[in-house]
Amino acid sequence: MGELKTVGKSIERVDIRAKVCGTAVYAADIKFPGMLHGKVVRCYEHAHARVKRLDLSAAAKVPGVIKVLGPKDVTTKKYNQSVIDLMASKTEGQMLGDIEEQSIFTEHVKFYGDGIAGIIAISEEVAERAAQLVKVEYEPLPVYLTPEESGAPDAVQFTPEKPGNRAFQLPEAMFPGNALGWGDVDKAFEEADLVIEDTFYTPKQKQCQMEPNSYVALFDDEGRLNCWTSGQMPKLVHEKLSRLFELPMSRVKINQTVVGGGFGARLGMVLEPEVCAMALAVPGKPVKIQQPREEDWLTSPSRHPSRYWMKIGFKKDGTPVAIDAKSVNFKGGYYLDGSALASTTGFWLQGMYKFQNLRYKGESYFTNQPVCGAFRGYGNPQTNFVLEQMIERACVELNLDPLQWRRKWHKETGDLSWLNATPYTSCALNECLDRGAAAIGWEEKRKKYANQTGTKRRGIGVAVGNHTSGAFPMILEHTTCTVHLNEDASATVLVACSDLGQGSHTTLRQIAAETLGWPIEDVRLETGDSDANGFDIGAHASRTLYVGGAAVMKACQDARGQLLDRAARILKVNRDELDMDNKTIYVEGSPERSVSARDICRVGIYNFVDHATGLPEGEMGQIQAYVSYKPEQNSPPFFATFVELEVDLETGEVELLELVSSHDIGKAIHPAICEGQMEGGAQQGLGMALTEETYFNEKGFATNNSFTDYKMLGASDMPRMTSILVENGDPYGPFGAKSVGEAGVVTPVGATANAIFQATGIQFTQGPITPEKILRAIRERGQTYV
Amino acid sequence: MSTRVLTEFDLLLPASLEEALDMLERERSAVTVLSGGTDLLVAMKAGFKTAKAMSLAHLRNLDFLAYDSGSGLRMGPRTTIAQIVDSADVKQHYPALWQAAKIFATPQLRNTATVVGNLLRGSPAGDCSAAVSALGGTLVMASAQGRREVHVDNLWVSYGVTARADNEMAVELRIPAPTKGTVSAFRRLTRVNEDLAKLNVAACLQLDGSTCTGARLAMGCVAPTMIRLPSAEAVLTGATINDDTLALAAEAVQQDISPIDDQRSTAEYRRAVAGVYLKRTVQQACGIA
Repeated sequence: MGELKTVGKSIERVDIRAKVCGTAVYAADIKFPGMLHGKVVRCYEHAHARVKRLDLSAAAKVPGVIKVLGPKDVTTKKYNQSVIDLMASKTEGQMLGDIEEQSIFTEHVKFYGDGIAGIIAISEEVAERAAQLVKVEYEPLPVYLTPEESGAPDAVQFTPEKPGNRAFQLPEAMFPGNALGWGDVDKAFEEADLVIEDTFYTPKQKQCQMEPNSYVALFDDEGRLNCWTSGQMPKLVHEKLSRLFELPMSRVKINQTVVGGGFGARLGMVLEPEVCAMALAVPGKPVKIQQPREEDWLTSPSRHPSRYWMKIGFKKDGTPVAIDAKSVNFKGGYYLDGSALASTTGFWLQGMYKFQNLRYKGESYFTNQPVCGAFRGYGNPQTNFVLEQMIERACVELNLDPLQWRRKWHKETGDLSWLNATPYTSCALNECLDRGAAAIGWEEKRKKYANQTGTKRRGIGVAVGNHTSGAFPMILEHTTCTVHLNEDASATVLVACSDLGQGSHTTLRQIAAETLGWPIEDVRLETGDSDANGFDIGAHASRTLYVGGAAVMKACQDARGQLLDRAARILKVNRDELDMDNKTIYVEGSPERSVSARDICRVGIYNFVDHATGLPEGEMGQIQAYVSYKPEQNSPPFFATFVELEVDLETGEVELLELVSSHDIGKAIHPAICEGQMEGGAQQGLGMALTEETYFNEKGFATNNSFTDYKMLGASDMPRMTSILVENGDPYGPFGAKSVGEAGVVTPVGATANAIFQATGIQFTQGPITPEKILRAIRERGQTYV
Repeated sequence: MSTRVLTEFDLLLPASLEEALDMLERERSAVTVLSGGTDLLVAMKAGFKTAKAMSLAHLRNLDFLAYDSGSGLRMGPRTTIAQIVDSADVKQHYPALWQAAKIFATPQLRNTATVVGNLLRGSPAGDCSAAVSALGGTLVMASAQGRREVHVDNLWVSYGVTARADNEMAVELRIPAPTKGTVSAFRRLTRVNEDLAKLNVAACLQLDGSTCTGARLAMGCVAPTMIRLPSAEAVLTGATINDDTLALAAEAVQQDISPIDDQRSTAEYRRAVAGVYLKRTVQQACGIA
């Protein structure tokens, strides 16, 4: 392949006009004639209780109410709204202890906002009014907001399958001693020159995707269950709904609507079970559920809060001899992907530095909080907040340059990556560090800020990380792609990959166009239709471009090959003697010997007989290619972030000045999209470090489940940002590309904490690092600076 | 828990001030006055119930904003925050109000929210409320019985409760004209830039050279209502503005405030920063860097 025509260019995004002009159809925009409205009745009186008596009679009498549904009026089959259980083998799933313990409407309320009943009515207003008339008698239960409380011996059990309310720990059968790692950590600490340890808290951050949740379902006249959803994983939800409602997959149809952001909140199911249960109760009538933001907050999963203990040991020269860590996650009311998060949190730890000895334990305990699940980074930002602060502290203690230490001790190409399963395929972290340091003026600022006076102190911090491109080899990886060449030599690419706003439908089209050798206008992507599309896992694990893109590339290579094969037969040459310029296929070196791709495609479909010869006018058959693709690698991207900020010592306020992120992404298929991912990730990473946390009162009620009191950084709060793309090519990724989707959120977390450390001389172990915490810490040290 | 469905209410749309005052006379506490709506509609979605909402949208000539060097600033109950931001007169003669308006909420909210609405919401966090308090504004209340003036010092009774009688409507806000040596400023602390204040301060000082001959200091989010800071004012009045007097004033603030823990911050933090912010606001008013 010669010079790239489409890949590597920041072309206009394929979805952008519809989104900007407001014509994109989100689930909330969907309206059908005769559509009914569903409302989930939620418990806002208790965060933990048993439903003793549920009286729906008054609600049923409200004019306009079609049906009221209690727990036994819908399927009582248990399920798990997450999809991680589909991604491990049955044996592995049993070893991990994955469970299905959720009910559509519960009789054991496990968090503030848990759903207890459903109303179907002719309008949202009527449904809402009826919901207010539902009478419930509860038996209040003790509220557990921490693993310590729920794990106490006499605590009420969330589910008999998980004694002691421990939802998960690394299983002995897979991880001896319930730990992953290598070497002899305890012995190594004895021989270390410096050992430090601390316990951190990472907050319950919410994804805050722009589109609030909305779902429509219809059990149609053919007996098919149709669901319109903005889920990230339409094909896995297809399977999940089929299982839950005991319908063959041929009788379940998923229509993926335009997705207004996901970040993991839409990994698996959110309200698909509820809306489908309602639709099944009123066959032939579409039912829509639309939630306000406040309700979304409670019903879609957030990042797991965690208590994260870490101990690390070094030799005087900085040699990292041992690391011992344990993360205890707050699971929320239900299990979801309980096995995965506590594991990956350790994988990121294991994959970063060349510690000679390592031990990691991960656990999760049920708590009476809204569920936790996937959130961009999947444990990586948590590990970054802890590990990068501990490394920083060690560098200060050992008087080592933190940038040089990282340069020296990070894992490299060929070193074993997370799970110790595969070697790193490529690593340009040193270039990331060098270019980032130069862009922000690290050397000069780091020195300058080492000695400051006055009430405003600046700091500059660095953090590094790596992530993954897809979930190989830990859990399932698989994308199918089908390509049809139309009669005019344009292409339709069928692939189920989701575009959550990250731009994947643009980049996948770029890959298809580049591979086929055609303009992007001649390539159409068909997605989001569970009938038309073959299998794809969906958007998670930063896999869409790396795995989906490779599947698209392989299918397009096949289609192009078939086209060239036919041309070779016409031109009577070998295929490898041919080249294609736009739609003309010619013999290399003899451009006059050519055939039109359009003619080949057309005659394959409109295959008439030549009356003069009695033979077909050309080769019969529409060109189609299909691939069922599983990657053999996960090509982790490496990255570094530098943050410069100023702390007001009199108020504890932090002003973000500058952020530079440099990512070793292999190859930017669409540079502007890559930068967008890095900047968007930075916004969430900075938020996790500084402002974002869901708070609960002593009753377990969320007190800031809205944008009024949950504060993300806005445009005016953001620092000046520079995104550096390091493109050295990865041997496995499509066109050398590695992932960029989740990575951006990770290192701003650690870099911000480290910058605050330099500015104040204080490390903050409890996230988010608010002015209240900073000022208290300054005052506790006896410095008032007034 | 918020809802997507507003509870039912009657929307009253008086076409004249007389009609509006008649409605208030008749409906009294059953009616809630809706000006910009930026507080009321949010409250209604969060469960606040009112049988009737009387919108001022059809009343003409209530969005005036006029400055006269003798009589000062006059504005109507429909005058928006955005109008304040756009006013060169406000910027020049009432820096505290202009600065409060400039960073008030978001552009969309500034286009509809009103200064008078901010005052009558009776929130201890109102940014324009702090500025008007320091600047010594007066609301003109009208009812079917006639008019009366309510000075801002007497406006806020308790959290969310004002001196407005239920048959009254504010028809004008007056702020006295500055004289030679009048300076003012506003500052606030928030969690992120576009946010409600976790603490706000406005200061209006009368200076004779570097001597303060009069001070009106207002602080928000440190009591059930927006409050004046009498102890700090006493320290500054008659004193030369310098680091020492500012430190004394900052210390004196502690006697004036009674902050609590809430969703936006803690009592401890507010106590810790109240003096610092007062000092900075006075410095800003006086042009001390």
